[in-house]
Amino acid sequence: MKKYVCPICGYIYDEEKEGIPFDELPDNWVCPLCGASKNVFEVEKTEEDTVKVEEVKNFESEDLREMTNAEISALCSSLGRGCEKQYLEKEAEDFYKLASYYESKNQKNENNDFKDLIFKINEDLETNYKNARKIASDKNDRGALRVITWGEKVTMILKSLLSQYDKDKEFTKNTKVYVCDICGFIYVGDNKPEICPVCKVPSFKMLEIERGA
Amino acid sequence: MSKVRAVRNLRLCSKDCLCLYVCPTGATDTETGQIDFSKCIGCGACANACPSKAISMVPYDYPIQQSKDETVIKSLNSIIRSKVEQEKIAYNIYCKSDDKIVKQFTKALMKANRLMAEDLYREAGYMLPQSKNTKEFLENLLKINDSNIPKDEIKKLLELLKFNEI
Repeated sequence: MKKYVCPICGYIYDEEKEGIPFDELPDNWVCPLCGASKNVFEVEKTEEDTVKVEEVKNFESEDLREMTNAEISALCSSLGRGCEKQYLEKEAEDFYKLASYYESKNQKNENNDFKDLIFKINEDLETNYKNARKIASDKNDRGALRVITWGEKVTMILKSLLSQYDKDKEFTKNTKVYVCDICGFIYVGDNKPEICPVCKVPSFKMLEIERGA
Repeated sequence: MSKVRAVRNLRLCSKDCLCLYVCPTGATDTETGQIDFSKCIGCGACANACPSKAISMVPYDYPIQQSKDETVIKSLNSIIRSKVEQEKIAYNIYCKSDDKIVKQFTKALMKANRLMAEDLYREAGYMLPQSKNTKEFLENLLKINDSNIPKDEIKKLLELLKFNEI
């Protein structure tokens, strides 16, 4: 009898309590808390496993001093949110104007498909996050570790949702889609959880993405 | 002690209106629901009296941005680049599709990636709009050779924001 842990929200599937071996659950079974697909679950680690330090390839981050228009836009919208928090409405509005200007300069109609997304997501999970986590722990940067932890979990749910989409193109058809306005977690289901499974913000910050008419 | 002013979180406000009784200047009584900053003297009486904890005192001057290690910033920037590219990929799929389900799904993906990029920037040296980093970022935007950039907005921001480290 084993226990399986959801790496996104921490939900534990205990085979002993549930009475059904994890392997025998149907392929479309998802985490009852956060909606992660079955294949992201991990066998609960023993203490011995967790002591092992994860090997990180010697990876050099590129120097990205030159910001792209898309990056300028994201920074501007981030600063706009920062102003909103301080109730600086005029400043927020100007930052949002800048964000949409640089966004309009960025958008090009290239042909992309979901495989391009999965490729990038795997790159993030396999290299970028591990590298950043190693550096942030070395430098004892708790803030950076916080954003890495949230972002990595959200990236995992995106991967899980894309694999669900790959199996069933209509998996969101009869239900709702929510995005956490704080961390970006996506929840597909009828009723959003009481708190965001990743950043734990109360559910009123999880906003529904409407399906266009 | 640095000067503070009262702000009201409208979502928490339960309209008990005790702030109106205790405010010595009438700053809390406005038609918009927000506190009139020009009248607020920062005494904190409203925040103390508020039974729903909807009022908090925010400073006029913020502490300077904590210094960040260059290698941490570089590693976060790599993730940011990936996230904005994913936002764009999702946008491209969104544009090319007529399927409502695909549109809804890619919209969620765009939003998730934007939010992650924004959050990463906060930890990569841009936590505070009033920081030296933000000031330099805005000044550098003005230097980019582009006749269409919203110069007025950038200049207005450089004027309005109370930068705390010159």
